[in-house]
Amino acid sequence: MMNKRSTTQSVILYALVLALVIFCVFPFLQILSTSLKHPIDWGNPSLIPRVLHLDAYKELLGLMPAKEADIPASVQRLLSNPALSEDQKQKLLAKFSSGGEVFPFGRYMLNTFVISFITGICSTFLASLAAYAIARLRFPAQSLMANGVLFVYMVGGVLLMVPLYQMSVNVGLASSAAGTIFSLFLIYLIQTLPVAMYMLGNYFRTIPFSLEEAAMMDGCSRVEAFWRIIMPLSKPMLFTVFIYCFVIAWNEYLFASVFLKQYQDFQTLPLALQTLFTSKNAIWDRIMAASMLTLLPVVICFMLANKHLSGGLTDGGVKG
Amino acid sequence: MSSVLIKNESRLGLKLVAPAVGIIGLLVIYPILFNIYLSFFDVQLNGTKTFVGMENYTDLLGNPRYYHSIGVSVIYLIGTVAGTTILGLAAAILMNQEFRFRNLARGLILLPYFAPVISVVFGWQFIFDPVNGIYNHVVVDVLHLTDTRENLIGNPDSALFVVIIFDIWKHFPIAYLLFLAKLQSVPKDLYEAAAIDGQNAWGRFWHVTLPELRFVIATVVLLRIIWNLNRFEDVYLLAPNVETLPIFTYYQAFAGIVDQGVAAAISVIQLLVLVGLIWLYVRKVLKW
Repeated sequence: MMNKRSTTQSVILYALVLALVIFCVFPFLQILSTSLKHPIDWGNPSLIPRVLHLDAYKELLGLMPAKEADIPASVQRLLSNPALSEDQKQKLLAKFSSGGEVFPFGRYMLNTFVISFITGICSTFLASLAAYAIARLRFPAQSLMANGVLFVYMVGGVLLMVPLYQMSVNVGLASSAAGTIFSLFLIYLIQTLPVAMYMLGNYFRTIPFSLEEAAMMDGCSRVEAFWRIIMPLSKPMLFTVFIYCFVIAWNEYLFASVFLKQYQDFQTLPLALQTLFTSKNAIWDRIMAASMLTLLPVVICFMLANKHLSGGLTDGGVKG
Repeated sequence: MSSVLIKNESRLGLKLVAPAVGIIGLLVIYPILFNIYLSFFDVQLNGTKTFVGMENYTDLLGNPRYYHSIGVSVIYLIGTVAGTTILGLAAAILMNQEFRFRNLARGLILLPYFAPVISVVFGWQFIFDPVNGIYNHVVVDVLHLTDTRENLIGNPDSALFVVIIFDIWKHFPIAYLLFLAKLQSVPKDLYEAAAIDGQNAWGRFWHVTLPELRFVIATVVLLRIIWNLNRFEDVYLLAPNVETLPIFTYYQAFAGIVDQGVAAAISVIQLLVLVGLIWLYVRKVLKW
């Protein structure tokens, strides 16, 4: 295995690696390329745009002045008619400008960020408490709970969507925007808690018990030892778990679509993007630019967390 | 340790797990039971329920769409599980070799797994777009395999295969990570011994690598079946016309003529299958 490779073997090896990398990366290049292409350039199979076209990004990020509505000449003549009352003019104008509405990308991004961030923080915090107890303490029904977490983590959202929706209707949460968002937050919490507990539990077990023991001999209580010894030592893993939970919530579509459909102002990016895609035709540049902007934070997060993440994921046989 | 200390420890333990376990109990365990209850009712979106007994189940078992979606799910499962396992294994063996830029390549092939589904589906839709897509360009204009540009995603039969390839692309990295972790722990002298016995590369793979990896392979296969049985977003967002079981359930519950009781009944049956698989996983794979 470690013998020197012949030239042919090297060529084959590099060719295979290159093929695999291209397979993995090509759709991303396609997204980036299309987001930068002018509509007339979409049919061009080359990934390099003929002309760099940044309008889609400008529009999504709100850097472009609102487009003047296309008003047919006949209507413009009508508008300049002094006999028409101001009220009637406004009505006429509104009819034509409604087509040029802007997709409030920033708002959706903020919605998604807020709910994902809160989910990440709460989930990591609650999971670290529970994972510590399961990894280190003895208490009744401990192994039942440890195994139960594993079980829960394999029950997919599809199986729970009807009862969870009905529960939130019965409790009355589904009838207000605030209640709906709260329901969604709780759902994201349960979607992330089991895996967070699993990853943190495995990590806590790798920390030598003697460290806590020493702290307790110095007069720390168990809880203080947890706060002062275990938590600081686990910072990289806590960060990784936070990122993982954040990204799960950032990407979630199913429950967002079930709960947020009628609350347009509070939609998250996946739902908003899907709506944008299905409601209008021929806007590939905007769709791709929005995809790129949704993708970027996630890729950056994972680059930051990658080192611990790969290990944490394989130890947990993680969801995917 | 004195009994007071033991008591204190168990009290602290319970206190620490209480919030997490409480939330999970309330929002996972209870809904599973509530779902069974709902499956005996006619349930509307606004919460009104009428008891119908076994009607949801008899309706379901007489519905050809249900069997069709089971069939689609089976094809989807076979394709994706075989695909992710084989590609994951091949990638792990490849990335376990020494070559320049190995770390870069290892990082890049994880991208599909990390990226949000909603973003990458649009890239894939564009690739297969009948007007602008590169797929049709290559097949029709470059290779001249067919004369007409086809909308692969628009047709449910071909879309199923696009969805399978997409799923393999998206999820082989996690299989790859599991395989690579195990490969790195296979002792080198096993390979050396096999080489001394006159085994070529293929023989070493067959007699050393595969037996060493067999538990990881079992884990990957079983976990993929479990996750993909419930997979919704990857399929629905790329090609909503591919009706796997979860998508059929979603349509019953939230689209068209809403019948959440029937959706609950589908979930109950699916949960039974799932519990069987998880039991198999815990018994046979986790405890080896």
